[in-house]
Amino acid sequence: MRYLLAFIIIALVTYSLQAQDRILLSKATVHIGNGKVIQQGLVGIEGDEIVLVENGLAYTVDKAKWDTIIDLKGKHLYPGFFAPNSTLGLTEVDAVRATRDFDEVGKFNPHVRSLIAFNAESKVISTVKTNGVLYAQATPQGGVISGTSSIVHMEGWNWEDAAVKVDDGVHLNWPETLQGGGWWAEPAPKKANEKYGEQKKEINDFFKAAKAYSEGSEEFDGRYEAMKNIFEGEQRLYIHANELKALLDIIEFCSEFKIKFPVIIGGYDAYMITRQLKDAGIPIVLKGGHTLPENEDDPVDLPYRLPKLLLDGGVKFCLQNSGRMETMNSRNLPFLAGSAMAYGLTEEEAVRAVSLSTAEILGVDKVTGSIEVGKKATLFVSDGNALEMKTNNVSLGMINGKFIELTNHQTELYWKYKNKYDKQ
Amino acid sequence: MRSILIELVIFRDSKYTLDMKLNYLLILSFVLLLSSTANSQLPIPENGLKPSTPSAVVFRNAKIIVSPEETIQKGSMVIQDGRITAVGMLVRIPKGAIVIDLEGRTIVPAFIESYSSVGVPEPNKAKWEPRPQLDSKKEGAFYWNESIKPEVNAAEHFKVDAKASKQLQEMGFGIAITHVPDGIMRGTGAAVALGDLDNRRAIIKSESGAFFSFEKGNSRQTYPSSQMGSIALFRQAMLDAQYYIENKDCNPKNLSLEAINNQLDRPLIFKVKDKLEIFRAQKIAEEFNLGFTIFGSGNEYERINELQNWKNKLIIPIDFPEAYDVQDPYVSRQIPMSDLKNWELAPSNPYLLRKHNIDFALSSKGHKKADEFWKHLHKAMERGLSREDAIAALTKIPADIFQLSDELGTLEEGKLASFSIFDKDPFKYKDAEIQESWSIGKQHVLNAPAEVDIRGKFRITLADISYVISIDGTKEKPKGKVETFKTKIDSTTTPITTSIDTNNVKANISLEGSDASIHFNIDDDVYQGAMTLHGKFNNKVGAFLGQGQTPDGEWISWAGIRLEKHEEKKDEESNIIVSDTIQPSNPWFPNMAYGWDSLPEKQTYVLRNGTLWTNEAKGIVKKGTVIIKDGKIDFVGTGNFTIPAGAVEIDCEGMHITTGIIDEHSHIAISKGVNEGGQAVSAEVSIADVVRSDDINIYRQLSGGVTTSQLLHGSANPIGGQSAIIKLKWGYSPNEMLVDNSPKFIKFALGENVKQSNWGDFNRVRFPQTRMGVEQVFYDAFLRAKKYHEEWEEYNSLSEKQRKKKEVKAPARDLELEAVWEVMNSERFISCHSYVQSEINMLMHVADSMGFTVNTFTHILEGYKVADKMREHGAGGSTFSDWWAYKYEVNDAIPYNASLMNEQGVTVAINSDDAEMGRRLNQEAAKAIKYGGMTEEEAWKMVTLNPAKLLHLDDRMGSLKAGKDADIVIWSTNPLSINARVLRAFIDGEQLYDIETDEEKRVRLKEEKARIINAMLDSNKKGDPKKTFVKKQEKHWHCDTVGESAE
Repeated sequence: MRYLLAFIIIALVTYSLQAQDRILLSKATVHIGNGKVIQQGLVGIEGDEIVLVENGLAYTVDKAKWDTIIDLKGKHLYPGFFAPNSTLGLTEVDAVRATRDFDEVGKFNPHVRSLIAFNAESKVISTVKTNGVLYAQATPQGGVISGTSSIVHMEGWNWEDAAVKVDDGVHLNWPETLQGGGWWAEPAPKKANEKYGEQKKEINDFFKAAKAYSEGSEEFDGRYEAMKNIFEGEQRLYIHANELKALLDIIEFCSEFKIKFPVIIGGYDAYMITRQLKDAGIPIVLKGGHTLPENEDDPVDLPYRLPKLLLDGGVKFCLQNSGRMETMNSRNLPFLAGSAMAYGLTEEEAVRAVSLSTAEILGVDKVTGSIEVGKKATLFVSDGNALEMKTNNVSLGMINGKFIELTNHQTELYWKYKNKYDKQ
Repeated sequence: MRSILIELVIFRDSKYTLDMKLNYLLILSFVLLLSSTANSQLPIPENGLKPSTPSAVVFRNAKIIVSPEETIQKGSMVIQDGRITAVGMLVRIPKGAIVIDLEGRTIVPAFIESYSSVGVPEPNKAKWEPRPQLDSKKEGAFYWNESIKPEVNAAEHFKVDAKASKQLQEMGFGIAITHVPDGIMRGTGAAVALGDLDNRRAIIKSESGAFFSFEKGNSRQTYPSSQMGSIALFRQAMLDAQYYIENKDCNPKNLSLEAINNQLDRPLIFKVKDKLEIFRAQKIAEEFNLGFTIFGSGNEYERINELQNWKNKLIIPIDFPEAYDVQDPYVSRQIPMSDLKNWELAPSNPYLLRKHNIDFALSSKGHKKADEFWKHLHKAMERGLSREDAIAALTKIPADIFQLSDELGTLEEGKLASFSIFDKDPFKYKDAEIQESWSIGKQHVLNAPAEVDIRGKFRITLADISYVISIDGTKEKPKGKVETFKTKIDSTTTPITTSIDTNNVKANISLEGSDASIHFNIDDDVYQGAMTLHGKFNNKVGAFLGQGQTPDGEWISWAGIRLEKHEEKKDEESNIIVSDTIQPSNPWFPNMAYGWDSLPEKQTYVLRNGTLWTNEAKGIVKKGTVIIKDGKIDFVGTGNFTIPAGAVEIDCEGMHITTGIIDEHSHIAISKGVNEGGQAVSAEVSIADVVRSDDINIYRQLSGGVTTSQLLHGSANPIGGQSAIIKLKWGYSPNEMLVDNSPKFIKFALGENVKQSNWGDFNRVRFPQTRMGVEQVFYDAFLRAKKYHEEWEEYNSLSEKQRKKKEVKAPARDLELEAVWEVMNSERFISCHSYVQSEINMLMHVADSMGFTVNTFTHILEGYKVADKMREHGAGGSTFSDWWAYKYEVNDAIPYNASLMNEQGVTVAINSDDAEMGRRLNQEAAKAIKYGGMTEEEAWKMVTLNPAKLLHLDDRMGSLKAGKDADIVIWSTNPLSINARVLRAFIDGEQLYDIETDEEKRVRLKEEKARIINAMLDSNKKGDPKKTFVKKQEKHWHCDTVGESAE
């Protein structure tokens, strides 16, 4: 706790410093994000950029060149983790309708943009970044096409400020081959979706029209306009699906419409068709392992093992945490990587699954995702392994070269009541 | 005196008849003249003469299945005035009797359908209303709950329904016990004769059984909304009925309670929907000393071991599941093993029950068509159900169950003349067809046998031409083919050549009696167009004679002379039922993926060289040993020990050994509703009544190191229901899973859920809707309970003599207040769902004022704000590690909560409330280190020792200490690490999970699935009925899950 306090003070001090200051993070175990690790690394930051990444054992530091040198010996340095497919900033209290801003009315809503609803001041966000999750893909839900997502960081004054990539892609919810009613606690029995073919055709028709529009149209159409960039390869097409048959159909669909950057979100059954996915070059934003097996008969540890199965199958993937209580649970994203590590990934592969791999899949790896020279200085320090519950303890965090606040509503209440009792 | 005809029948074949011959030849069955009085009718004014009826009907030359044990291969039966008056190889034929020669056909006693609603109107369903209906809308002096309607009397509603009857008659049923299938107490049934009968004659017995279920039915009243609620309501209604009868004079008349008392000596039929529900009904039966006849669901074989000593008879359906359509591998791969196993083994259910000496009646429920019913019955026989047992299950046993044996069940003299006539023995031949159903003496022709057999090859001669027609098909539905010839002239050749084309055309034949009509289209040298021939067939001569119309409209005479007789194909062999008692596979325990072939046994284990997390003063011990013996921990430590004989030694080098995880707040393994939200107070309901042993989450959590769970009622109302504390003994029955002598617990709840904040705008009716109201619900309940207790105290303080003298009777029992009183009396502990400090504080005040302690606040997300008060009051806290932001009242929830409460000396546990999180509670405990800096040992206690303390089970569980239950988990590494995996889990000394066995089960699962899916595929290919796959969704209960329930 003392350490935490000390770093909060450092953070507050440095926070006021000018952005062009040169800061050297020294001697931490640097998890680059690309699968590599430097045991005693040196990471230099100037402004919002990483300007130096070196092995401390083989590099002599010229102390005069750095305004601030922070000794992180024994600690771990990670690139800011990503929460893709997230409702962070789009909802505040799940049960309060007034705070839910991620599901618009309508079937085909590519023109609906999450970015403008993103609440940079969300209290939930302030509890997520303190665990090392520093980027999110603010993603709309619902309908067939839910809308267009954007990639944000967690230290913006407003959404403009927070945007890392505006309108990064459109989200398509592929129909389910089995459909059920009910709600989360009381799902109705699932039945074969008899309208699957019909719904698929509806999607096809929409894409055909949108594609035709993208090749030149006289009349303006808001929906088709929002699809244009998909065909031009400027935006990604995120297709949400889990079932085997749906995944196979998606591969065909993407090839038919020559989608340049298709991404599957979900992908529970992807492990069964890794060869096809690899050949098609479609990456998976995989639902992390803290979820029950989909089928009664599935091995009890299947969700934990999926990352390893995809890795072995050569499919590009990263981890996400959609599902029940997803917004607040974004802070447990590091532990999804941890579970993937427990079930087959190496530590660095697991780190990659929530950092560089995500950045690559979302198309922002030029500036984010790893601790490499030329990238944005968005990173965090944990006292121990950040993928472990008991050692994930973020003592320093930085987004675009700025130290982040490591306090939040929860830590405030903690200290408030701790002090109350200490005085008793 | 009537003159008597004696008919002598000579027997030729069959060993049975030869054996019986001597006996029977000596016995002459005399017509019992007196029997007719038994069925005499009261005079009814007739319009004109009274209807004429023959004096008797004699069926001769019949195979007669008299009873399950006795079949007369060739005999006769006499019926008079709706009763059997004689049956035997030799009978006297009364004068004036109609004699019917059955030509070897089979007479089968009428089957008795035990579970029917034939002839009673369908209960009407009230219109759906979005606002909850708390009170009964049924007008009149009835019970307060609409699903308790014992006063319903099927006989009063019954009307003959010939059409619905026919459906059953075609299967062979002649009698049905009908009732109004709606509600928990459904009222009285009536035994009725099926068929197109006079309404005044059809009811055989008007008070035939009383019917019950766990299903709420059409009632729109909110209570009960769960199966445990149905159980509690049933019990309360029984208690009310007892009180009512004992205090009849001073109580206002209540027709429902009167009806309950009147029906308890009748056969009591309890309908269930699953094998586990049998035991739930049985528990009620034992409490009130009732004998329920269970109407089962067809999967009883899955818990056959618990049914071993079942004394009462069962009624079971045989509507075996259809195969799934498995042509599409994308679909078939999702079919769970539980469904596949049940598809394969359900047809063995009748045989397996008989093998365990359980008697049952069979019901046709679920069948609309006779051939499907027979197909299933034959399937059951092929799986080993004997002929005698099959017959008994359809006749004698249901007659016994409904106390109708004097009238029905066999074809013995004096019994009702209700029977069916089949063309051959349906218990021997799969292609037997029913022809007639006789219901209390009245004939119903279902499939009339053809009078003549027109099949064969005929030459049909018209005036100027003749045709050859071949007639085959069945006697009743013949099909024909006509050979025609046409001359073809080829004029291109010289000389002109002619050839003759032979053409076979189809002839449509309809047959009525001996009148046949034959239509065919002709194109030959004489006629072109439709030819229609009508004619009478003379069976003796084998020839047609009649009139016809040629295509050109001329009427002509024609004759058909038989050239060849029809040869009956002899394929009877393949239609004979062959019984094989070797079953395709054995059920697993439970009968689903990862079930056991047979349950593991208790063994002695020596676990050596492990790191022991003792949770005792010794703390974490390296290189330690744990010995498990007789289900208990026998030794813990590093010192000297002797290895018990026969012990299994396991080297735990590098591994960590802990006591099993205890989840203080779980909702897995619960059937049909976690919430009885129908009322604000439902202390009478208990999760222990509805434990579901075949929830896959038991296995999943076991694989995450959980060995004990408190299954809590939900949080839909301020005073919820009683808990079940179970050990996750995968494969065992619910009863075996319940912790012995478990401390009693009850769920209370506060906040948004109980005030229905998130239930939509229509749910603004039930009190309370604010936190203010919640407090008053508690005070009211406790004050009522106190008064209730005082009344009983007073009563109990009086001697029997004083009671008599003062005419004091026992007060009415109230299950709800009994449980609330137990809380006040500190016999039952509260686990209270709670979030914000105001209400936590309030409940402690309520408890203080009533003189008891709130045992546990669960969730308790603002516990950190009042931790000092909790400590003072003596309450523990069981919380989430880090949940928040899901509703407004968790705004101030902080993950440091566990640490802060712990620091203040509150006993703190970390719980799941979630099937998924429940399997990695070790990780959740680890978060207490991250948030608030707890030590590893302390953090580990949050999911082991502390919940044991909160559950008052720490004398048996929660630490590695000799004498405690051997609920042990071996971990691959430090259990608080995210890398930790459970290698083995023991409960009461039985190894119920280990990764090797799990791996074997995965392989076996794969193989068995492939095998059964292939069998299904074969069935699909054969064209058997099939259905599309519907994936069962697992129920993941949480606190605020409402509904589902009482169905």
